Amino acid sequence: MTVVDLMSEAKMNVELRSKAIEKGRYELYNCFQCMRCTSGCTSMKLLELKPHQVVTMVKLGLIDELITSGIIWTCAMCLKCTERCPQDAAPSDLITALRNLAFDMEANVPEAYLKVVSTVLEVGLIQEEQKVTSRDFEVYDRGQLNLPKISKPGEIFKNNLLILLTPEED
Amino acid sequence: MEIGVYWGCMILTSQYAYEMSLREVLPKFGISITDIDQVSCCGTPIKNVNQKAAIYLAVRNLALAEKAGINELLVPCNGCYLSFSEALHYWEKDDTLKRELGSLLAEEGLEFNGNIKLWHTVNFLHDKIGTEKIKTAVKKPLNGFKFVTHPGCHILRPSTIVNVDEPEKPRKLDNLLKALGAESIDYPEKLDCCGGGLLLSHSESALTIAGLKLKAIKSLNVDGLVVSCPSCKVMLGAKQEAVGAIVGEKFEIPVLYYTQLLGLALGIEAEKLGLHLNQSPVDKIIEKLT
Repeated sequence: MTVVDLMSEAKMNVELRSKAIEKGRYELYNCFQCMRCTSGCTSMKLLELKPHQVVTMVKLGLIDELITSGIIWTCAMCLKCTERCPQDAAPSDLITALRNLAFDMEANVPEAYLKVVSTVLEVGLIQEEQKVTSRDFEVYDRGQLNLPKISKPGEIFKNNLLILLTPEED
Repeated sequence: MEIGVYWGCMILTSQYAYEMSLREVLPKFGISITDIDQVSCCGTPIKNVNQKAAIYLAVRNLALAEKAGINELLVPCNGCYLSFSEALHYWEKDDTLKRELGSLLAEEGLEFNGNIKLWHTVNFLHDKIGTEKIKTAVKKPLNGFKFVTHPGCHILRPSTIVNVDEPEKPRKLDNLLKALGAESIDYPEKLDCCGGGLLLSHSESALTIAGLKLKAIKSLNVDGLVVSCPSCKVMLGAKQEAVGAIVGEKFEIPVLYYTQLLGLALGIEAEKLGLHLNQSPVDKIIEKLT
């Protein structure tokens, strides 16, 4: 995945840049492009993610391009970039902030992430309790494995989570 | 001693073997488990869409733990461990966050004071119980066994937030293996990610990443791969066939939780440790041990 025709068309969006920067706790401007992040990036080989470029693009205010290209969803969140960054630019935190911004703007968030959100709102957990199959093809639930029953969170929890997930009006 | 446990979604809803094995092994060291009612998701998947909501989920679970009288909490899943550590980190520093989330917690009659010590399985066994105690408790030593370990990303990084082990040269899981009499083989791909974080958006690439790791492990001819995270276990264990199909290899690598291996070494029956639920061929290990 690549971000195409970037320099020819893209314009700096200062407003969105401040929004992206507000959402995190990184020292973005300290990045001196040493590329330690990219050299250890899990997604670099397969999906061409280059965290040092993401940092630069945010500095340049090219936020729309980052969000609509889908490149921010190629990160595996292994967090090596943030661990190894000598300047506390924390690229993985920046990518998380950009994902949050994409969600607020309803822009190109992969369907599977939205589905997890609605399941957590509905069930409280990422999925309902599953039956599992052993290697001998026997099917078991928690009770059959002598595990205690799960008690789920109630309505107040769901309402509070929904409030937090609703984007604030400008 | 008593310890609270927050199991997390993956363990509670499908990775039952991790829960079964922990419930079996901890009492052998005089530790009893306190469960927490009405817990929710830890916040990890929600962090991708809204960081504040993720912190709410984390502190709500921690507040429930405090309410249950827990001051030391074992969090066996790497993802949940990072989510809670991060929430604690920001809670301490951000008074606005404290006020806003505090009032949401109050609606459920909850309050979070931040007086909770977090443990992950790896540092709880290694630092709290200790390898010497484990060594003494072993009834069936795993002599002659060779394993590789996969500590997983989120108990190591970022080291400003989590400190289960050294971020770039983790040794605790290896030390724990040695305490059982087994050998732990070092390999260059040890710190490589399982790919789990990409499963939702780029599933084929996620499986390929797992495949690259499994290819490297296959070439080492070890008895198995030892993990401590439910997500890594799914990627490298349960999905082994799918991963093999993507990278054009046949994998028959036993993948199991350290707590399952510990249970075997303590003389606990395989079925009680949920070993019949592992989708990878762990029978090889059980047979070799008997």
